[in-house]
Amino acid sequence: MKYKSHRIAMNFFTFAVLLFLVQVLVGLIAAGQFIKPDFFIISFNIIRTLHINALVVWLLCGLMGATYYVVVEETEGELWNLPLAHFQFWATAIATILVVIGYIVMGLNPQANKWVFGTLILNEGRTYIEAPRWADCLIALSAILFLFNNVMTIIKSKKITGIQGTLIGGMVFLTLMYLPGMVYIKSMVKDQFWWWWVVHLWVEGAWEVIAGALLAFMLLKVTNAPRHVLERWMYIEVFLVLFTGILGIGHHYYWIGTPPYWLWIGAIFSSLEPVPLLVMVWDAFRTTRENRIINNRIGLFLSVAHAIFNFVGAGLWGVIHTLPQVNKWTHGTQITNAHGHLAFYGAYVLLIVAIIYIAVPNIKGLKDFNTDRAYKAFWWMTVSMILMVLTLTGAGMVQVYMERLMGVDYVVVKEHYNYWFWVFRAFFGVGFLIGVGLLVLDYFTMGNLPVRKGASNIRTTASA
Amino acid sequence: MENNGYRNLFIFGSLACFAILIALTVNTFGKLDQRAEPITEEVNAGKMVWHKYDCIGCHTILGNGSYFAPDMTKIASRIPKSYLKKFLMDPKKTNAHATMPKLGITAEEADQLIVFLDWISKVDTNGWPPKPIMTVTAGNVADAYTKYQCADCHSISGVGGTSGPDLSHEASIHPDADWQLRHLTDPASVVADSAMTPFPDMSQEERTQIVNFLLTLK
Ligand code: HEC
Ligand code: HEM
Ligand code: HEM
Ligand SMILES: [Fe+2]
Repeated sequence: MKYKSHRIAMNFFTFAVLLFLVQVLVGLIAAGQFIKPDFFIISFNIIRTLHINALVVWLLCGLMGATYYVVVEETEGELWNLPLAHFQFWATAIATILVVIGYIVMGLNPQANKWVFGTLILNEGRTYIEAPRWADCLIALSAILFLFNNVMTIIKSKKITGIQGTLIGGMVFLTLMYLPGMVYIKSMVKDQFWWWWVVHLWVEGAWEVIAGALLAFMLLKVTNAPRHVLERWMYIEVFLVLFTGILGIGHHYYWIGTPPYWLWIGAIFSSLEPVPLLVMVWDAFRTTRENRIINNRIGLFLSVAHAIFNFVGAGLWGVIHTLPQVNKWTHGTQITNAHGHLAFYGAYVLLIVAIIYIAVPNIKGLKDFNTDRAYKAFWWMTVSMILMVLTLTGAGMVQVYMERLMGVDYVVVKEHYNYWFWVFRAFFGVGFLIGVGLLVLDYFTMGNLPVRKGASNIRTTASA
Repeated sequence: MENNGYRNLFIFGSLACFAILIALTVNTFGKLDQRAEPITEEVNAGKMVWHKYDCIGCHTILGNGSYFAPDMTKIASRIPKSYLKKFLMDPKKTNAHATMPKLGITAEEADQLIVFLDWISKVDTNGWPPKPIMTVTAGNVADAYTKYQCADCHSISGVGGTSGPDLSHEASIHPDADWQLRHLTDPASVVADSAMTPFPDMSQEERTQIVNFLLTLK
């Protein structure tokens, strides 16, 4: 380990991959409940809460690990305050575990979730941001400590690079956008209005900015591309992300009781949201083509895969249902769910996996290592995810046609016409779990397997 | 520093977009209250119950939430409140096919929830959810069956709601015309604690019409 500070990044990555495993395991239980609703002791709502909260938390941990890593690499020095960073890690991990215990308690006994001093003590009953207020405060505190430590490191080193600045900017935006979810509002319409600030301005705003910065960083590390070119495109991409994404929030304000002008704003800006994602794909390919010196092939492979699936999952699967004329029929159906899965997978799961395969070999000081298992994990996850998403898209099309267009009862469509889609989804879910299992195994054993001839991770020749 | 122009475009362009969002938010908040009924303490109490039991963990409301159970935006305008109350307090007892768990919702909480659901059903949602455009029918149903919206709760040959039992083979289950008539007049007088709403305004003619129709469903 070149820097002691890299320990922090490793801790976050470790916690992240373990939670990823938990997320997918509970996802499988949720999928089982679609087939047989009563088979598990904890009811669906809590299983789903665990599934999506584990997702958000592990991705956030991955992003924090990535930021600590990038800041140390870019400033070429230790973090401003190492003990503080350790404290921040453990506080985050312990808070997460406490929240999870709270959810499980509520799953076993719904009455345990009481209103105390105007807040619910175990679960706020609001998708994605279910964490209770006391946990919100801990999370906000953790984010502030995290930002402060990184900013102080940069200031101390006096090396402010574009990548670093954009990354920290995205992190500040992310932290600020957590706040609108922290107030109780009596109107359900206003409640959902602010809820979308958190959810939409995260995944289609702050997180995409972070993804843009990390993509530039990763391409910089795995090729010999000139920094100024990468940073120029990064600025263009993240500008376009926010230009389309901020007002693109309108695609959530069509039907929740908000004025009709949002139909226009949402349609126009959100339709443009795939554009920056396409630029990122082009950027990744251009950089690879123009710079043939590649010192981490799996890292590059995953970075490009991330760019492609970010575009497909978020951009394409998002844009198909973003116009009000379409969304009127598909709103809140399995089409949304299909998009949610492919978008999160392509945009953020692959992003974190990519950064892990760039950071960890470097932290461990591996010159070359066996990447067979990493590729295997990637293909198991990706093929399963694609099949799962196609299944959900099929279920969504049946649902939209029968329930929304023909007026067949919701329950009849779900239990009868869509039954086999649920079975296949669970089946592909098992495939995905195998992929995650391989990934976690490879994470812990990276560099242990002997490097095979012809399967080297390094390529420095200008050939091929 | 050759990228300063691009950097400034990013920083100031994004801030400008965000400023527009804030302006639109202020404008929207000025309009929201006219698009919904006033919020009473009762409505808010119902919303608090909604959060307490994490209903959104299974259902959508205004189309947002989970896709495991039906949307709740318009439920109170479709299903009678007396049925809703019974169902919320004990779903499986009220509807044998229900998958919703018994959460321990009290009578008071159920009343509050219903007031909240009634409030949300009156929000102006720009026409969402849309009416189906390819309406299906279950063959020739009696006019009175349509008039009293029995299909909101019952289905025949897969068409209709699932709150009450399937009526596709009702004539084989309860072939007795007298039973049917008494049930239709006052469900609770034949089925203990029935959650079906009585239809006091129905004429005798209409009752006979419905019963005759039900007895054709072999
Ligand atoms: C609020 C929902 C609701 C509405 C509206 C409704 N029902 Fe029912 N119905 C029920 C429930 C719940 C039951 C089961 C309890 C019972 O048997 O009384 C039921 C039972 C029945 C049964 C007995 C079914 C069986 O096999 O046990 C018949 C027949 C019936 N309803 C006919 C009708 C007709 C005709 C109408 C329209 C005039 C109607 N219902 C309207 C909820 C409803
Ligand atoms: C990485 C980026 C993205 C992620 C992670 C993401 C994720 C999600 C998730 C999880 C939901 C469901 C929220 C819920 O109801 O619980 C959602 C909804 C939606 N997304 Fe995205 N999304 C992304 C990008 C996009 C893009 C680029 C578009 C369009 C161009 C888009 C269009 C939509 C629409 C229209 C909905 C609402 C569907 C509905 O009506 O319920 N998304 N998104
Ligand atoms: C074994 C693999 C998985 C299975 C079986 C699975 C299953 C499920 C189920 C059953 C739901 C609830 C859907 C509903 O409410 O209608 C769900 C929701 C969700 N899952 Fe998964 N999941 C898996 C993996 C993943 C992964 C890897 C991600 C992230 C990349 C993910 C992200 C989500 C999101 C964002 C939602 C909410 C969708 C929305 O509300 O729009 N899932 N999942
Ligand atoms: Fe969005």
